[in-house]
Amino acid sequence: MRLQEFTKGILKKNPVLGLVLGLCPTLAITTRVENALGMSLAFTFVIVLSNLLISLLKRFIPRDVRIPTFIVIIASFVTIVEMLIHGYSPSLYEQLGIFLPLITVNCIVLGRAEAFASKRPVSETLLDTLGMSVGFSLAILVISFLRELFGTGKVVVFGYQVIPGILSSPPVGMILPPGAFLVMGILLAVMKKAGVV
Amino acid sequence: MVGKEEVRPVAVLVITCLVWGALLGLTHSATEKRIEEAERAELYRTLSQIFPSAQFKEENGYYTCWENGVLVGYAVEVEERGYGGKMRVLVGALPDGTVAGVRILSHGETPGLGARVTEETFLEQFRGKELGGVVLKKDGGEIEGVTGATISSRAVVRAVRSGLENLLRWME
Repeated sequence: MRLQEFTKGILKKNPVLGLVLGLCPTLAITTRVENALGMSLAFTFVIVLSNLLISLLKRFIPRDVRIPTFIVIIASFVTIVEMLIHGYSPSLYEQLGIFLPLITVNCIVLGRAEAFASKRPVSETLLDTLGMSVGFSLAILVISFLRELFGTGKVVVFGYQVIPGILSSPPVGMILPPGAFLVMGILLAVMKKAGVV
Repeated sequence: MVGKEEVRPVAVLVITCLVWGALLGLTHSATEKRIEEAERAELYRTLSQIFPSAQFKEENGYYTCWENGVLVGYAVEVEERGYGGKMRVLVGALPDGTVAGVRILSHGETPGLGARVTEETFLEQFRGKELGGVVLKKDGGEIEGVTGATISSRAVVRAVRSGLENLLRWME
């Protein structure tokens, strides 16, 4: 029964394709599969921990000032994590450093805090945010895969060529901003038509 | 009279800000030194990419590069405004005043677009160029910018130019 709190984030309430949240980072970073992997990792880390924190503190947060309080908690938490990674693991920082500040403005994190973590017990919050992380990761991986494949004609992840060149002159627009909207729109339409969301 | 109902939200928000502000300050002072060291180590690693078997000496922000007691080059770090904010570029020069190599130390460019200025295919074009040759193809030069990232490419070109100018002035 409660497992549904986990699974709903994957398809039915997929944060990107179902709830249509977090579009700014989604559109910006899905130019390569490699970026999507980095973003997925950083996102999972931040949304799970910051929402657990909010769920733990929910009794002390008055309704009237809940949004500013959430923002202070999320933004400070992300900044602290960024400083710690920068100081103690420079190589990890090199990979994830540019994604962490983008997460502060990712409204999925705030959205789940408002809609879920501030009302539900910690255990359900854990399931909810894990599900959202899987859903977000899947969505940006699919979008970035399609954009990289059609925009550059191949897919290269950490130096390994996953899919060799299939197009001799790929339409570069796919890795430019218009390609993001195009792929996103088509995926949304497909999901709607298939009745998934 | 102000009731308890009005005071509580304000008090909680103030306390939240104070606590997190303090945590941020603590983390900052705890990690400041380590971050600086990490950046220093990174800088020297990057220098070794431009001058592989050289040793480096620092002088007022300029670096001289020595191989077996012979001066083989100079390097300097330049800051430039890119598309996504501050960009730190390391510019190396040979004693004859041409570019020995260019590396991006940090940047805030868009991943997949502007961030591609850090790729070797773009940066290797600067090697061997004189000051007058550091111009984008779009602006009448020979350096091919990154597709869809003219602003980022121009920022690197500007950084290399000002770095090289500084080095030439300093060499004299």
